[in-house]
Amino acid sequence: MIELDNVSYTYPHTMQPALHQLSLTVKKGRCVLVTGPSGAGKTTLCLAAAGILHHEYGGKKEGHVTIEGRDVASYATLSELAKTIGIVFDDAEAQMIFTTVEEEILSALEYRGLEAGVIEERLASIIATTYLAELRTRSPHNLSGGQKQRVALAATLALGNDVLILDEPTSELDEQATRRIVEILNALKAQGKTLLLVEHKYAHFHDMVDLLVVLESGTIIAKGVPEEVLKEERIKKIVIPDFSGVRGSLKKPGFPERDAGTPVVAVQHLSHAYGDILALDDITLDIFAGEFVAIVGENGSGKTTLVKHFNRLLSPNSGNVVIQGKNTRTSTVADLARYVGLVFQNPDHMFFADTVKDEIEFGLKNLGIADGETIIDAALNDVGLMYTKSLYPRWLSRGERQRLAIACVIAMSPSIIVLDEPTTGLDGNEARLVMEILKNLQIKGHTIIVITHNKEIAQHCADRIITMEKGKIISDSSLRGI
Amino acid sequence: MAEILQYVHKDGFFHRLTPFSKIAFIIVVSLMCIISTNLIFLAGLVIAILIIAYVSRLHREVLQQSKIILVMSIVFIIITLITMPNGAIIGFLVPQGIPLIGGSIPVTQGAIEIGLILTFRFMILIFAFQMFLLSTQPRDLVHTLEKMRMPMDYILMFIIALRFIPTLQVEGIRIHEAQLARGYNPGTGFTGKIRSISPIVIPLVSNALLRSTVLGLTIDMRGYRTGKRTHVRESTLQHRDYGVLFAMVIAGAGYIVLLIKQII
Repeated sequence: MIELDNVSYTYPHTMQPALHQLSLTVKKGRCVLVTGPSGAGKTTLCLAAAGILHHEYGGKKEGHVTIEGRDVASYATLSELAKTIGIVFDDAEAQMIFTTVEEEILSALEYRGLEAGVIEERLASIIATTYLAELRTRSPHNLSGGQKQRVALAATLALGNDVLILDEPTSELDEQATRRIVEILNALKAQGKTLLLVEHKYAHFHDMVDLLVVLESGTIIAKGVPEEVLKEERIKKIVIPDFSGVRGSLKKPGFPERDAGTPVVAVQHLSHAYGDILALDDITLDIFAGEFVAIVGENGSGKTTLVKHFNRLLSPNSGNVVIQGKNTRTSTVADLARYVGLVFQNPDHMFFADTVKDEIEFGLKNLGIADGETIIDAALNDVGLMYTKSLYPRWLSRGERQRLAIACVIAMSPSIIVLDEPTTGLDGNEARLVMEILKNLQIKGHTIIVITHNKEIAQHCADRIITMEKGKIISDSSLRGI
Repeated sequence: MAEILQYVHKDGFFHRLTPFSKIAFIIVVSLMCIISTNLIFLAGLVIAILIIAYVSRLHREVLQQSKIILVMSIVFIIITLITMPNGAIIGFLVPQGIPLIGGSIPVTQGAIEIGLILTFRFMILIFAFQMFLLSTQPRDLVHTLEKMRMPMDYILMFIIALRFIPTLQVEGIRIHEAQLARGYNPGTGFTGKIRSISPIVIPLVSNALLRSTVLGLTIDMRGYRTGKRTHVRESTLQHRDYGVLFAMVIAGAGYIVLLIKQII
């Protein structure tokens, strides 16, 4: 059982509290799901509940946290706390310490003071629970995101604790990998484990959640049985993304026109292999100006590999990609950046400047645009981030950083904007906001291509859905006909 | 993508040895190659290590480093040619026929020899350490270093430094791609190159710092630093280990004899 009693916390060198007078009880054997906008304090709540804030972080702390009836302050070290509580962080890669999956789990087991025979037994049982048998000898670094999350979870389970905290375990996973995590957590709950879960994908977990908590600006704004909490419309919009109506009706005036003349992206018999693995297998595809295309498919289906060919981050092994009449084989990445803007899944891979303004200006300077003040303002207005202009990009919330990444690209005014999983780690409202921004960009004349696991996004926002599987396009349907 | 200096799961001779035997191997081989200045002996050592790599089925991984070794050896030889001319002149780096500068930088036998000695040493050290790291699971290494009474925090530091290499490798590629997609153009000239590093290095370091926080907490929360360890599947010295240790003693002693008798 975890109890937070009137907990407030302010990080060092900040004024605003990250948690404010927060009280929450996670009863034994129950599953509590915490959700809310990015920057609401969800990760801080995990750190507080695990006792990590108390032991590892400075800043101003108030209130009490007890784990299994004992105040976290009474534990001498984190290692002692680790005998009672296990935590899985959202960054699975950072939790991979060893070089094979089995070693990762075994090493965690070896420090529990168990008999050698018991360790082997427990190892076998954890591997079975987390479906890792086939991956035993694989290097954790080479696994997919979902597999890494399962390894991180398995290593935490090795501790044998009854209380588990999981911070966004499925944020970057596709449908299939998410379902597998849900299945594992369901089994753990059935075993009597106490679970505190931070998640944006409530819909996947609704069967196992006993208590739903919605956090905003460090405060609990709703708490209770899910059905009750979700009765309030404002809360429901945060918890469950609702993309209905984003696309608008094709029949209504003002719906973006498609220019069915020359395609802006023409992919002809494109194949690409990574070593022996064929990632794209003879893809042929035309995308026309003004379309809003969703490319859907599970991880490893070739979606990202395909779009990386649009701006020549990858070159075809065979076949051709023609962007607005230019064959990518004879163009440079820098040239193609004028036509294709690519926003990657993790915005933190691009931010390096001291202010939001400088960050956007970087792209403009690369294109040789010297005085870009008006362009920057327009881009910031488009994504609703004018108030952040002089802030440090990495201080923004995940939702704001995602929108800034879009602003950086739209300032460069490419006719084609490609986004890889633009709603990762965002709550319902933020996800909808991002999709509305993209819709507006389509209305302004851009061609939008979104890679997504989320079928709702594809159904409610795009006017054309391309489904990929094992490097091939298995379906391509457009509201306007292909 | 090939991971640099990471354990490769295989069933080879080197994999079956305990880390202790491998550490002994590295120490003896490193000392011999650092002390020796005999070209033939060093060349023999390189060949011996490559044979061991082949027997241990690690030759493919070891030879992946050939490109960097070739570049380094050319750099070594050019530096020694310029800075340590010595012995008979074989020719000139800049052909004599070229007006004004022709005939400068003589290629001397002594300089080439020193360049080759440096190259061979470099090859031996790289190959030996690579074979060690590719064939040893960090868990076994932690265990052996613990037994050798190294403090746990230092052991973890070493393991983490190795473990971060592939992460930084992948992260660096992703950041580079993200910046290229924004029209990033690595600058020209020395100052341009230095200035153009920041769009890559700042995200790389910032993300690595964030990641290291999570990694540090993970290490604590899994009890690695203070928990008492039950050793399972502990690798104990086998006949082959005694064989290797005996061979190292013989090799070391033989080498000292050869040194004393001034044969090498």
